Amino acid sequence: MPEHIRMALPKGRLEHDARQFLARVGLMSESPTNGRALIVPGAEPWVDFLLAKPADVPVYVEHGAADMGIVGLDVLREGNYDVYEPLLLPFGHCRLSVAVPQDQVDAYESLRLHPTLRVATKYPNLTLEFFHARGLTPEIIPLSGSVELGPLVGLADVIVDLVQTGRTLRENGLVEVRIILHSQAVLIANRASYRLKEREVRDIIDRLSKHIGENDELGGEMST
Amino acid sequence: MTDWRKSVQANHQRPPGRPLPHGVIDRFWQEAAALRAIESRLRDLYRRWGYTEYIPPSFEFADTLSTGAGTLLQGQMYRFFDRDGKVLALRPDMTIPTARLVGSKLFDQPFPHRYFYTGPVFRYTEPMAGMPREFYQSGVELIGAGGPEADGEVLALAVESLRELGLQDFRIVLGQMAFFHGLLEALNLEPADEQALKLALDRKSDPALRTLIDRWGLEGNLREAVMRLPRLYGNEGVLNTAQEVALNETMRAALDTLRAIEKIVDAYQVKAFITLDLGEVRGMEYYTGITFEGFVPDLGTPVLSGGRYDNLVAAFGPPQPAVGFAITLDRILRAQHIHKVPQVPWMPDIIVGGTVTPQHVTLVQEARESGRKVAWCYNAHTSSELWAYAERWNIPKGVWFDDDNALVRESGNVFRVPLNEVNPLL
Repeated sequence: MPEHIRMALPKGRLEHDARQFLARVGLMSESPTNGRALIVPGAEPWVDFLLAKPADVPVYVEHGAADMGIVGLDVLREGNYDVYEPLLLPFGHCRLSVAVPQDQVDAYESLRLHPTLRVATKYPNLTLEFFHARGLTPEIIPLSGSVELGPLVGLADVIVDLVQTGRTLRENGLVEVRIILHSQAVLIANRASYRLKEREVRDIIDRLSKHIGENDELGGEMST
Repeated sequence: MTDWRKSVQANHQRPPGRPLPHGVIDRFWQEAAALRAIESRLRDLYRRWGYTEYIPPSFEFADTLSTGAGTLLQGQMYRFFDRDGKVLALRPDMTIPTARLVGSKLFDQPFPHRYFYTGPVFRYTEPMAGMPREFYQSGVELIGAGGPEADGEVLALAVESLRELGLQDFRIVLGQMAFFHGLLEALNLEPADEQALKLALDRKSDPALRTLIDRWGLEGNLREAVMRLPRLYGNEGVLNTAQEVALNETMRAALDTLRAIEKIVDAYQVKAFITLDLGEVRGMEYYTGITFEGFVPDLGTPVLSGGRYDNLVAAFGPPQPAVGFAITLDRILRAQHIHKVPQVPWMPDIIVGGTVTPQHVTLVQEARESGRKVAWCYNAHTSSELWAYAERWNIPKGVWFDDDNALVRESGNVFRVPLNEVNPLL
């Protein structure tokens, strides 16, 4: 009898792709289950899934409340989590970018020349890391949604936010000027589970990696 | 039963809160007793293995404690000034003070030295998995012995420690920094690239490793050695596979050491608890040889960590090889809780009430001398109030003195004992 494995999945942006990918691999059943259940059974009796807010996924995994998890690199790097990251998964591609109002693109060609930058973002840590690495100390305005509003209403000069197609930015008159992080979904594992449930964790990693094609875009990391 | 809750509520309003700083906790009742019980079991075990106690100061010069500490640990130190403006720090671990002691004071005394310690260390970290910023460590350092015999002894003692604490099914994961250092020699990378490689291995991230290898243009056996490192993990055959990817003498010597250690831990009959992982490169910056961590089921974080640090003593005096480990007692407490390890009783065995006559005091003292834990309750006016008190505090036995007689309550039964016949406390 294999050891039980609990995997944390992020609700929201990555949820659909994650479910589809896990179904393709044969770990999750195709049929939609009760939409409200927070713990759903897997396609095999020794696996189940916990649905959590994306930012909570690495917390569950780091503490061992879930053995493994799927989360965006953006969320993972925003915190500082002590987990293993054996695989990048072929979905959830996006970038964390600095965007400025269209009419000020020229003014922000050099971020260095703006000593009193106000930056609205949902990612204060990654934003600070990016600016600090350039010797800049902007004022961070932490928001929890609709960051694009910041420059429109004069709350911030620029924003740092996730960009997938760029449509939201365009619609709000913003232009991407720097990329902080290329993000995509990543498989994470608890350090103790990786040791104590070695066979099952390895099995899941191997099964998932077989379904990652040669042409899937891989390798997202901090741009420096 | 007297409802003590009602009387408490009637007589007292909740006092205003007195918050503690983030990261420190009050340890009392079961928690305090359990912590001390762990310490005393470990202390006895370490003594049986010939280790002697070292009680380091709680704080010393920050410079000293920064020696070999690495940027992470240095960043986690609590620093403050003394009146002369010198910078002091609370000890963030016990190994550095031990290395200082031996290197600067005991350097000319016959080796090996064996030390154990137990007590709080202080790290300015985000409280993670129930770890306060003041947390308790017990551990050992074996100084002045460099061979696989010393490594094997300390590994075996690590296993024995976790067993002694009532834990089972745990795993010690054994890494070898010397193997990784040999790989770094062969790769000859810039310091920043070494850090990037270490980070990718820390995360066990195949994609990150592949990206680095491509960026550096590694080919052939160099490429092979890096890519296979995270898979050099498990038991049977790992050393043979590692032999195939070993690129130089340093790497081969590191594997020879592991083979010799394997024989020693086998002799101690603890090999079954140990898993090799040559891709494990985390741990304290001062590690030079083997490193190891202990994992317990259902606890997401390691309870024990250790390794060989052959260069640390040299920072304080004549060089001495050294190896040791520390157990994080806060996590042991949690593991014992999860795995339902029987708890030590923390209250007295017997609660005594009634009149306090010289005869009664003598009886109580007799019981204490024979090893019973006995306390007086002066606040109970009747035997039933005493029984209620005993029940609230889970005290198994109550004795109510009434001149020449005693009422004894044990497992719910009450009986009368004449005092001139027997001591009802024994």
